[in-house]
Amino acid sequence: MTESQSSRRNFFTDIGGGFSGLALAHLLGADSLAQDAASSTDLNGGLHHPAKVKRIVQLFMNGGASPMDTFDPKPRLAELHGKQFDPGEGQKVESVTGSPGFKVLKSPFEFKQHGESDRWVSSVFPYTATIVDDLTFLMSMVSKSNVHGLASYMQNTGFTLPGFPCTGAWVSYALGRISEDLPAFVVMPDAKGLPYNNQGNFTAGFLPAQHQGTLVKASAANPIAHLHAPSDASFITQQSEADGRQLLQQLNQNHLERNPGDSRLGARIESYQLAARMQLSAPAVFDLTEESESTHKHYGLDETVTADFGRRCLLARRMLERGVRFVQVWSGPAGPSNNWDNHSNIDKELPYIAMQVDQPIAALVQDLKSRGMLEDTLIMWTTEFGRMPFSQGTAGRDHNQGTFVTWLAGAGLKPGVAYGQSDEWGWKAVEPIWCYDLHATILHLLGIDHTRLTFKHNGIDRRLTDVHGHVISEILA
Amino acid sequence: MSFLDSLRVEEMPVNPVGQSSVLLLALAWGSYAQADVDFDRDVRPILSATCFHCHGPDADSRQAELRLDTLAGATDERDGSHAVVPGKPELSGLYLRITSNDESERMPPVDSKLSLTAAEIAVLKAWIEEGAVWSEHWSLQPLVMPPAPDVPDNFRNRVRNDIDRFVLNRLAKMSFTPSPEADRRTLIRRVTFDLTGLPPTPEQIASFLSDTSEKAFERVVDRLLASPRYGERWARHWMDAVHYADTHGHDEDAIRENAWPYRDYLIESFNNDKPYARFVQEQIAGDVLFPDDPNGIVATGMLAAGPWDESSQMGIQDGTTDKEIARYLDRDDMIATVMNTFVSMTVHCARCHHHKFDPIPTEDYYSLQAVFAGVDRVDRPYDRDAATARMRSQLLDEKTNLEEGHVANDVLLSPDVLARVAEWEQNRPVSEWRVLTPESVESSGGATSTRNDDGSILFNGKRPETDIYTIKARVSSQLITAVRLEVLTDESLAHQGPGRQDNGNLHLSEFKLLSSAGDTEPDPVALHKPVTDFNQNGWTIAHALDGNPKTAWGIYPRTGQAHHAVFELQEPIDASDGVTLTFVLEQLHGGGHLIGRPRLSVTGASNPSETASLAAIPLAIESILEVDAAKRTVEQKSELSLFHLKRENTLALAALPQQSMVYSVAADFQQKGNFVPARKPRPVHVLKRGNVLTPIEPASPGALSCIDGLDSAFQNIDADAEGERRAALAKWVSARENVLTWRSIVNRVWQHQFGRGIVATPNDFGRNGSHPTHPELLDWLAARFRDSDGSLKNLHRLIVTSATYRQSTLHNERFADIDRDNHYLWRMNRRRLDAESTRDAILQMSGLMGWQMGGPPARQFVQSSGIHVTPTIEYDAFDVDSPAARRRSVYRFIFRTVPDPFMEALDCPDASQFTPKRTSSMTSLQALAMWNNRFVVSYSQHIAHRLEKESTDRREQIRRLVELAFGRVPTDVELNAIAEYADQHGLANACRVIVNSNEFMFVN
Repeated sequence: MTESQSSRRNFFTDIGGGFSGLALAHLLGADSLAQDAASSTDLNGGLHHPAKVKRIVQLFMNGGASPMDTFDPKPRLAELHGKQFDPGEGQKVESVTGSPGFKVLKSPFEFKQHGESDRWVSSVFPYTATIVDDLTFLMSMVSKSNVHGLASYMQNTGFTLPGFPCTGAWVSYALGRISEDLPAFVVMPDAKGLPYNNQGNFTAGFLPAQHQGTLVKASAANPIAHLHAPSDASFITQQSEADGRQLLQQLNQNHLERNPGDSRLGARIESYQLAARMQLSAPAVFDLTEESESTHKHYGLDETVTADFGRRCLLARRMLERGVRFVQVWSGPAGPSNNWDNHSNIDKELPYIAMQVDQPIAALVQDLKSRGMLEDTLIMWTTEFGRMPFSQGTAGRDHNQGTFVTWLAGAGLKPGVAYGQSDEWGWKAVEPIWCYDLHATILHLLGIDHTRLTFKHNGIDRRLTDVHGHVISEILA
Repeated sequence: MSFLDSLRVEEMPVNPVGQSSVLLLALAWGSYAQADVDFDRDVRPILSATCFHCHGPDADSRQAELRLDTLAGATDERDGSHAVVPGKPELSGLYLRITSNDESERMPPVDSKLSLTAAEIAVLKAWIEEGAVWSEHWSLQPLVMPPAPDVPDNFRNRVRNDIDRFVLNRLAKMSFTPSPEADRRTLIRRVTFDLTGLPPTPEQIASFLSDTSEKAFERVVDRLLASPRYGERWARHWMDAVHYADTHGHDEDAIRENAWPYRDYLIESFNNDKPYARFVQEQIAGDVLFPDDPNGIVATGMLAAGPWDESSQMGIQDGTTDKEIARYLDRDDMIATVMNTFVSMTVHCARCHHHKFDPIPTEDYYSLQAVFAGVDRVDRPYDRDAATARMRSQLLDEKTNLEEGHVANDVLLSPDVLARVAEWEQNRPVSEWRVLTPESVESSGGATSTRNDDGSILFNGKRPETDIYTIKARVSSQLITAVRLEVLTDESLAHQGPGRQDNGNLHLSEFKLLSSAGDTEPDPVALHKPVTDFNQNGWTIAHALDGNPKTAWGIYPRTGQAHHAVFELQEPIDASDGVTLTFVLEQLHGGGHLIGRPRLSVTGASNPSETASLAAIPLAIESILEVDAAKRTVEQKSELSLFHLKRENTLALAALPQQSMVYSVAADFQQKGNFVPARKPRPVHVLKRGNVLTPIEPASPGALSCIDGLDSAFQNIDADAEGERRAALAKWVSARENVLTWRSIVNRVWQHQFGRGIVATPNDFGRNGSHPTHPELLDWLAARFRDSDGSLKNLHRLIVTSATYRQSTLHNERFADIDRDNHYLWRMNRRRLDAESTRDAILQMSGLMGWQMGGPPARQFVQSSGIHVTPTIEYDAFDVDSPAARRRSVYRFIFRTVPDPFMEALDCPDASQFTPKRTSSMTSLQALAMWNNRFVVSYSQHIAHRLEKESTDRREQIRRLVELAFGRVPTDVELNAIAEYADQHGLANACRVIVNSNEFMFVN
């Protein structure tokens, strides 16, 4: 880390208030063009080495997407179907929410190979099957917990406990904004509700609050909080706004002159100018009439089942285009149904939720590719854990931290490859890939050495990757 | 670039306001010779950051058996050489290795990715040259009060109290001068926000300005410290430190209905200026150490203040790995809450390995785990009133004695007791519950049943989805005012019932009673006033009488224990000639939610709900009662007296006021799902790498071993007595010898008064934390605080009346060039209002603040049921003019995973994390929140209404507005500009601009 970034960061942890000159530039940078101030242009926006990726869209399948029913076929389960699951001597089989039984359950879905990469995809993802040559699969992700909350925290923040900054917050902290007009980190939850942990998954934790995910309610009348004054406040008019800002500027300028030497005062004046800009530019993001009818169709906006996720995928693209650095799109709310937590009946529950995202995701990948945006954008398809090779009840599957699938697409990656391997049942990873490795790899693509991106909290130089993490060089282009 | 510059560039990033800067500043200013190299301040940080990973306190990761964290380790001979030879760098292995040109020789090794700068090497060299003087880490050194130093003559008139001597002495060494004293308007605004979190009113300002006495400022300070607003302000700081919230956090973020009594306890404690040692003890083990003080239990809400993982604790079965992990993590949070807050040590590092930087071995950490091994976070009952608490305690002792038969015959046969028995016996026929013996039992669903001798009916055999039980019984010689249904447990039922469902639950859809005299058709009997000992959330006993078959009474999660319900007859029945009662128990919910073992009884009592929990008279007693009183044996009399005393005890307990609840910790409580009480401490092990699957050895309760004069192992502790462990920790933390405790608290207070602590890392006094800028001042304050009365108010008074605190924020570019962060306090720090102060100041300016103190939290959101456990929370839809909106912000409901976006934009922290010190950002999203949030917009109008009521003159309105917001009189230019804007766009718009201004948001 260079001195300049350190000063910028120190600013927010100290109230000394004596910054000026260079530090002021960094402060403003933190709010706006951090990247120009903080990172060197010869590193293509990276902090420690040249960056391949400038922006990220993360698609999070809330509830634990089943690997053996989607991307990781297990013929062995068909052979053992209905038999007692027996992984061998000394292996402890546990099921956190299910009652005991552990009868092997084969996948009810048909698998076929697709694309030039011959990637196996089940019948629940017909659209995703058409883009597999663009995807890079991590076949054996593992987690520390079989519990939604802890496992979701782990995938988002690298820790199973609440209160740690999520990946988007770390990226915002490290690189700041691309655009002055929009926040660095935006989160779009499912229209049906927030995921497990609610907004805990989007928190800045102990990082300065500004790095928190900005919550966008994609289908609400006012998608971003505080963008406009309440519509019933009739005493506020366009003219009162304009004149009010001017009066504020005048008062603040006068105050600044009486109180020299404190860069925060100037920074706060600047923040109102940026706010005004955001008020003007943010609403345009949500104006989907600018998009063609074929785009609407492509993302599935014309079909009820795909409309919500499709709309959010399209909004994600529009945000990335306009300079949002990290967009997170969630599929499925918390709770026992309407998500990827298929405890009762994998045959009925999985196709329904998969159908909601399949076409929009394929459209997003194709759209970003055709616009050339995949050149510097990373797409992540993630979930908090996988599911058991044996049944819960008769046809459902319980949580499994042992192995699950994540895929990536975009800049800096080898497309059409798969890395990692699960065991013959899809019970445990043979080559475990931790979230630390995933996070280290993402940061690497952003030009950041994960061991050097730190923030001191409660006596510890905290990292997104804790004390772990290896960049998965095998999947890098 | 000089070597000092390079030090700054490369060393500083690791430490936000690092210790290196102290040396840097000192050397840069040229006032310190090299002889001033201080081991603890300058050398240890370098060793710690660069060498301790492999040559530090952790024996497991130590290389080449060399340790550099002790003097002996560094200077002892090893294979004919010494790492450090005092006075001789050229003979010191350490110096030779760090300066070696041979890459394979040079330390630190290349693959460690660590390196030393030229400046750091120079510091190490200088240190060795000067004799390699070793010292204990500053925070662990004995705490003795240093004498207040002299100050140069030219500063002498700037001394108001001894604090100033320490600060001025240091300023003089730096050739700095203090800023002049701030003007009175600035001072009163500063001190009012600092001590109460509110702006001064114009009247308070006027009174201060007109007070010509010497002690005018002291009078302001005394007034503020005596104000209840003081406790509200400082409790909020404490709530940040202990990560208080009104929900559990984690994925199933359920509401804690009873967290707030702990918040009120904090406010009351600060307002009453509770001595600090007592404040410490109460929060760790008040229930054990002060059993007669109702606050004793409430105070331990601190241990439960942090998040709780309901999914893992309640949802997962015991014996699984995930459950075991959840318990260790839950205790980890309690440890961190106590140790971070009270002793500013980050012990959680030692969960997986010996601390890399501080002398905290893994064993110490697991000793602390053992301290909390007997408790879980749970709602705990307590009596608000001390007299009731004492009465309950007496009655419970008496109950134990009665149940264990420890009552002497001379008591049982005393005239007084015998008289009470006789009186009761006379009224008995109507007042007692009489168990009915069923004549017939039918199950519409086809279940079979057996009748027990105690009058209960056990249902077994087929478990239908739904069922209707029809039970008939004959009653004679009694007035009937109420009937009682008991649902009893049985070994044959899942979870011992009392329901037949797999989870032990039941659902009673409708309860009906019919009565017939002789052979006549039974008539329905109207019932009302249902009462029960427990209602499942949303499944109350009223549902059993509401005539709606879709609603029902349930008892989940209180399974595995008996429950009862009492229904009063609207018109009592005279059964003296005998009647047949028919009970119809409709259980229509489905899924086998059926009663496993019901028992029915009747009473003629005039107040049946008061005796609802009384057991029916046992057969043995009935048979004694049948004997003529005069003919009873002594044994029979004793037995009857004992029975009666138990009965009196039960009624007396039932008649006590209902207990309050506080979310706290307890060893015993009602089981909820898979959340079961420990009752006595659970076994805790030292874990290898923090992994529950690799336990090493059992851990016994204790604390940190690094403090001289304090025994870390807790001796003579009863292995089963959970409370003794916490009591021992409470005494360890609050001990006079605990140097960390006293340094920690004075530093916290200093931090909140100056914006920055003497130690910049208030939760970390370890070697990775910051070094104090004024170590002697810190010790002077800590020792004085410890040795006087532990009064926080006196500490505040001392600090805010110092000349140091009363300085202006005046900028000095020359000093700033050297000390930009104002470590040495050559001026006061300007501070931005925090979220609560911003909101409260606006409320106060509007004149609409509701000053009500305490009670359940103000829900400043609209709440509806969510998809799962967590409700849906909407802040947008909340009515900002409702009474809840007008409470002070400390009374706000804190929702851990769905925070208020307005408060969040103003840096109100994530309540899942400890926040010893808030960040203070200035972002465009914050600007938008201040500009557009409904509360700000609406209260801008309210402020305008107030001003318009107070004066019709525009200029007078603006003068008042500026004084309310800034605490000063506007200039003519300002007055004209604001008035002109108000004339054009209304006063409300002008108010909105003013509360958005920098002068409002910053305190000089």
